[in-house]
Amino acid sequence: MAVSKNKNSPSPTELIDWLNDEGVLELDWDFPEDGDLFAAGLDSMAVMQLVVAVEDRFEVELGPDDLTKAHLATPTTLAALIAAKTS
Amino acid sequence: MRSPRETFDVAVIGGGSAGLAAAVTAARRGARTLLIERHGYLGGMGTASLVHTFCGLYLLRDEPGAVHANPGFASEMADRMIAATGIGPVRMGRVDVLPQHPVEFVRIADELVSAEPLIELRLHTEVSSISRGQDWEIGIGGRGGERSLTARALVDASGDASAAILLGREFEMIDSPHLQRPAYVFGVHLPGILGDAERLETAGLIMDGIRGGNVPPETMGLTFRPSGRSNEIFGSLDLAGGEDYDPFDAGCLTGLELQGRSTAAKTVAWLTEHSTIWKGAYISQWPVRAGIRESRRWLGEYVLTGEDLLEGRRFEDEIALATWPMEFRETARGPKLRFPAGNQPAGIPLRCLKPVGMDRLFVAGRCISADHDAQASIRVMGTCFATGEAAGHAAAAV
Repeated sequence: MAVSKNKNSPSPTELIDWLNDEGVLELDWDFPEDGDLFAAGLDSMAVMQLVVAVEDRFEVELGPDDLTKAHLATPTTLAALIAAKTS
Repeated sequence: MRSPRETFDVAVIGGGSAGLAAAVTAARRGARTLLIERHGYLGGMGTASLVHTFCGLYLLRDEPGAVHANPGFASEMADRMIAATGIGPVRMGRVDVLPQHPVEFVRIADELVSAEPLIELRLHTEVSSISRGQDWEIGIGGRGGERSLTARALVDASGDASAAILLGREFEMIDSPHLQRPAYVFGVHLPGILGDAERLETAGLIMDGIRGGNVPPETMGLTFRPSGRSNEIFGSLDLAGGEDYDPFDAGCLTGLELQGRSTAAKTVAWLTEHSTIWKGAYISQWPVRAGIRESRRWLGEYVLTGEDLLEGRRFEDEIALATWPMEFRETARGPKLRFPAGNQPAGIPLRCLKPVGMDRLFVAGRCISADHDAQASIRVMGTCFATGEAAGHAAAAV
């Protein structure tokens, strides 16, 4: 998965820490970059929190088309989504 | 006009999950039992407030498979519900829960109570006074007027420590910003299917609606779950009580009900207009009342604490196990769960059901003697069945 050149977009590891700090999810410190976010509790309620938090932090609006299982599956895919939207 | 005063062995205030368990248990143990309920059916949060999940029934486990935490009434209710819905326990994240249908809960409660000739059920009835002579003297009433009766033992399963107020006894209640937010649950008819992909798209649509000012910001955190019946789902949201939230102020409660309905109606209207997933959907059921998670708690011979739960503390006089993680709903950011070390259950001592300095009085359900943190675990219906059963048992033995 490509890492964005945009310095504002997070790496998957940074994203894991940030999801914890924002209280969107409670992920273990060693949660893998390709770990299953849905299994870790990313339900539709958490997704709404995620959308707000992403908007605040990265100035990116995630719309209905962005919120797919493929995009939100892991920290890696989510980081790629944010990178694609910020670039 | 004066009729001879009725006498009972046990009087149970409140017919929610705890009061139902208490009354059925007391009657099964031979006590002539009065069960007093303010609504037209039993079940409380699980029926009048449409809370459609039994939490706290099962042990916390990493391994798959749901294992009952409390034998007896809690397990019996689970079996009856599974027989009615055909749906067994479901793992959600780290916890096992049992989906339950409020309509089935009402019917099951009716059957349980009707099967016990020793239970006298009084629906549409409130308790207006309690005093203590040799026995408990209880005033009950409704639109038909007031009457009084006596009972040897009293169970407060009101959820609000109502007996503490009527007796002028000490109780605990945390200040409003920290009180758990009320749940607002409503039924929706949905011709289509709401799978994982549709759910995510719905979350995005709601966020679009909030951005554009078409959906109220309170909709953040709205979740939809299948009811188990075809073309029916439940929507659940947490209401912001605000700084002045007072679960005993009628004006405040009125505001909550109006806010819940308005938020739900606007959101469902937005979704049906903007998504093919939601085509033809409509709100099919309002709750009788918003679901109050926390209000007054009794001060008992022991106060169960959050520490006890985190450590999985056990007690010689424990009457039930608390297994639900402490579930905090104090902010708009959704539920926060705090799990015990190693998934251990904690015991709930009988002393938590015994108010300080009172005999022949037992508490059951969400208002037992527990601190704010522990209440965030023991308030769930699965645990309320178990504390209710224990209170019924103790009251029948008086």
